[in-house]
Amino acid sequence: MHIPDNYLSPQTCAVMGAAMIPVWAVAVKKIKAEVPKEMIPLLGIGAAVSFLLMMFNVPLPGGTTGHAVGGTLLAILLGPWAACISVTVALLIQALMFGDGGILSFGANCFNMAFVLPFVGYYIYKFIKDSVKTDKGEYIGMIAGSYIGINVAAFCAAIEFGIQPLLFKSATGQPLYCPYPLSVTIPAMTIPHLLVAGVVEVLFTVAVFSFVKKVSPGTIYEGAKEKTKAIYGLIIGLICLTPLGLLAAGTAWGEWGTDEIQDVVSGGSALGFVPAGMQNGFSFEALMPDYSVSGLPEAAGYILSAIAGAAILIILFKVIGYLKKDKGESALE
Amino acid sequence: MRLNDNRMDALNMPEWLLTDENYSPPNDRDTFVNKSILSFLSILARIKTQDSSETGKYGISAIFKVAFTFMLILLLSLSRSFVFVMIINVYLIVILSLMKAEDIVKILKVSLVMSLFTFILLLPAAFWGNSSSTILITGKVFATITVVNILSRTTKWTSITGALKKFFVPDLFILVLDITIKYIVMLGDFALSMLYALKLRSVGKNKSKYTALSGIGGTLFIKSKEMAEDMYIAMECRGFTGEYHVYNNFKFTIADFGYIMINVGIIVLFVYFGRI
Amino acid sequence: MIEIKDVSFSYSGVNALNNINLSIEDGEAVALMGANGSGKSTLLKLINGIISPDRGVYKFNNEEITAKELKDPIFAKRLHQKIGFVFQNSDTQLFCADVYDEIAFGPRQMGISESDVEQRVNDCLNLLNIQDFKHRQPYHLSGGEKRKVAIASVLVLNPEVLVLDEPMNGLDPRTQRWLVEFLVKLNQAGKTLIISTHSLELVPELSSRAILFGENHTIAADMPTEKLLDDVDLLKRVNLVDEYYHSHAGKDHKHFHDHSF
Ligand SMILES: Nc1ncnc2c1ncn2[C@@H]1O[C@H](COP(=O)(O)OP(=O)(O)O)[C@@H](O)[C@H]1O
Ligand SMILES: [Mg+2]
Repeated sequence: MHIPDNYLSPQTCAVMGAAMIPVWAVAVKKIKAEVPKEMIPLLGIGAAVSFLLMMFNVPLPGGTTGHAVGGTLLAILLGPWAACISVTVALLIQALMFGDGGILSFGANCFNMAFVLPFVGYYIYKFIKDSVKTDKGEYIGMIAGSYIGINVAAFCAAIEFGIQPLLFKSATGQPLYCPYPLSVTIPAMTIPHLLVAGVVEVLFTVAVFSFVKKVSPGTIYEGAKEKTKAIYGLIIGLICLTPLGLLAAGTAWGEWGTDEIQDVVSGGSALGFVPAGMQNGFSFEALMPDYSVSGLPEAAGYILSAIAGAAILIILFKVIGYLKKDKGESALE
Repeated sequence: MRLNDNRMDALNMPEWLLTDENYSPPNDRDTFVNKSILSFLSILARIKTQDSSETGKYGISAIFKVAFTFMLILLLSLSRSFVFVMIINVYLIVILSLMKAEDIVKILKVSLVMSLFTFILLLPAAFWGNSSSTILITGKVFATITVVNILSRTTKWTSITGALKKFFVPDLFILVLDITIKYIVMLGDFALSMLYALKLRSVGKNKSKYTALSGIGGTLFIKSKEMAEDMYIAMECRGFTGEYHVYNNFKFTIADFGYIMINVGIIVLFVYFGRI
Repeated sequence: MIEIKDVSFSYSGVNALNNINLSIEDGEAVALMGANGSGKSTLLKLINGIISPDRGVYKFNNEEITAKELKDPIFAKRLHQKIGFVFQNSDTQLFCADVYDEIAFGPRQMGISESDVEQRVNDCLNLLNIQDFKHRQPYHLSGGEKRKVAIASVLVLNPEVLVLDEPMNGLDPRTQRWLVEFLVKLNQAGKTLIISTHSLELVPELSSRAILFGENHTIAADMPTEKLLDDVDLLKRVNLVDEYYHSHAGKDHKHFHDHSF
């Protein structure tokens, strides 16, 4: 679910980042109030655990595997605020040090995975646990929480993707970022999460939680005593999500017929290649934007190509040399 | 096995331990163990090798690298000019060609896979006529991923976190980041050993894979809580008051100057090709 | 049984094994010695098929073990059943919520009946004298108890070779002594043992053959244990002992002086 850069417009990224700032501020305040002294080690090591939990390959029925995010799990084990900061730091390290997930889209990724996921997951868990009050209730809450949590997060990502073509087009009407409308992004994001990623998340959450509960129940986050708060949290969450739901309903999927395509590409048709491309099937030439060399003097274009060519050759030689040398050595399995 | 019978009685060894195990393992769908081992190995290797990486090879201060990398990512994202994106890609390829072959391979692997993924993802849009954006976005993705990976492979991570301080990131947050990286290695080594233990004892068909996974994930969590407690005590003992200062000595070099000039050039190009 | 020829290995650039030549026969007990970082654990990992040689050949029961062979799960599982590995850090070896399940984890996969599994587990609990912990959580046991559970969980697979990485580390003297006696018994029962250890005191009881690693990750000596312990110069050269160590050639008079007081 890590959104890379250039799928979202910088404006969207800025908004998402801005939305996270108060969340982070409140989270730090809450944690400071709950565990004033142990805060630093808790957050640092919690983030390390969050990072590592994402590295596990979870077996799925049928023999394939998937990665879990572990947001709800961490929220249940550490509390939602600590989970929020832990996942945030883990995402930052992934983006900055491992180049995994974008830099600009960091705010959006945090919104989905460090905010929406743990909070939705945790409050659903808490709501069910507090209303059923048995061990079974706790596990049902955990299953529902982790499943719904990751799916709501995926849904948020889908919306972020899907609003791009509505809001950001070039003067010629070409989408500048994710070109797909909500009617495409919502099913594309939610279906795999409903079917696979949600199941991975549930299996992983229940497995790890039950071990911790059996072996070291004292390490689990106690949680707020008042149960009313959980309900409010849930209600507020649902209210926040309603407009998104309405937005989604507006363009139910399957509906993306010619109308909408026309809508999206209406500006593009001015270039003349759109109908041709659609009628004559795929043509590679159409892929090359026709203004690609305009704006650059011919000579400069040659020089640029020459530089690129030389650099590519150097890279090629280095890579070949490297691979040859590497052949003899066997990797660590 | 060599053994005489009266000794066997004397040792009180159970019968089954004295016979050869004539065992042929069944097949099992347990690739998750090997895959997890590979994930952990690769991140641990990445962090450990970067510890020893000769940083500052080009003598450019981390603060400028971080700042201009962010700037470049922002410009790429804002740009609507195919030419600008192409020039940046060529610039990055030139930088790549100056690097070590091993780094080149690793960086290219990531950026090529990601750009290919993006391209395929956007291909349907190309059929609808959004072909120029398909090429543009793919080019941007390639450049962005490459530039981030160049940064992280040519700069010590502690220098990156140190540079963040200059951008008004609070010291305490940088402390948390540093702790996180350190504990990713410690806990990661721990988890890796557990995965090996699981692998070595998974000699047949495991009917409860989630039990094994829950043990490793759960132990990792409990261990981390213990470590956090130990660390808190250690911090108290050493008189940690909640104040933490990141020091970095920073000297402006000629390489910095050159690097800044290049980036000024990039800004000029961005404005020139700007919003076509 | 184990044949290692000209084997070298490095961890992404860091050399850990350098041109190792070694052969171990069925039923032998061998001690691996050497300073910290000399490559003992790495060799043990190689023998267990966790890593494979960069150069050279490793053969187990006349079959060559390569990275390619190890990728075949059936092949790897067969090897892992035949060679048991007790890790240096028992914490990392125990991943079940209950001692009984921990020990039963391996045999349950081998397609033997649950009653046979129970038999084996109980035998192992008795052998290691840990019947009382049967239903405790491994995570909360003491260091010595964890070590015993780890050994039981490996032994229960009935491996031909038992590999132990510094098994005496972190145990109190009484438990160390008990463990030495237990390992000697296992060896007498026919198990091949490969043990890395720093304990100069216990090593002559464990094995008659000692292999000494140099700090350059090569084998500095492969000789009878008694002879190695007498070669003080050699032990100093590989930085295993310092100048305060000396042993006495007299047979029954071998002890450790502490000259620092
Ligand atoms: N996972 C690893 N990654 C990188 N280097 C390692 C790793 N494990 C061991 N080494 C290095 O390999 C060498 C041999 O280590 P090891 O086999 O653990 O020695 P010993 O067990 O004799 O103390 C040491 O220099 C050590 O630093
Ligand atoms: Mg060792």
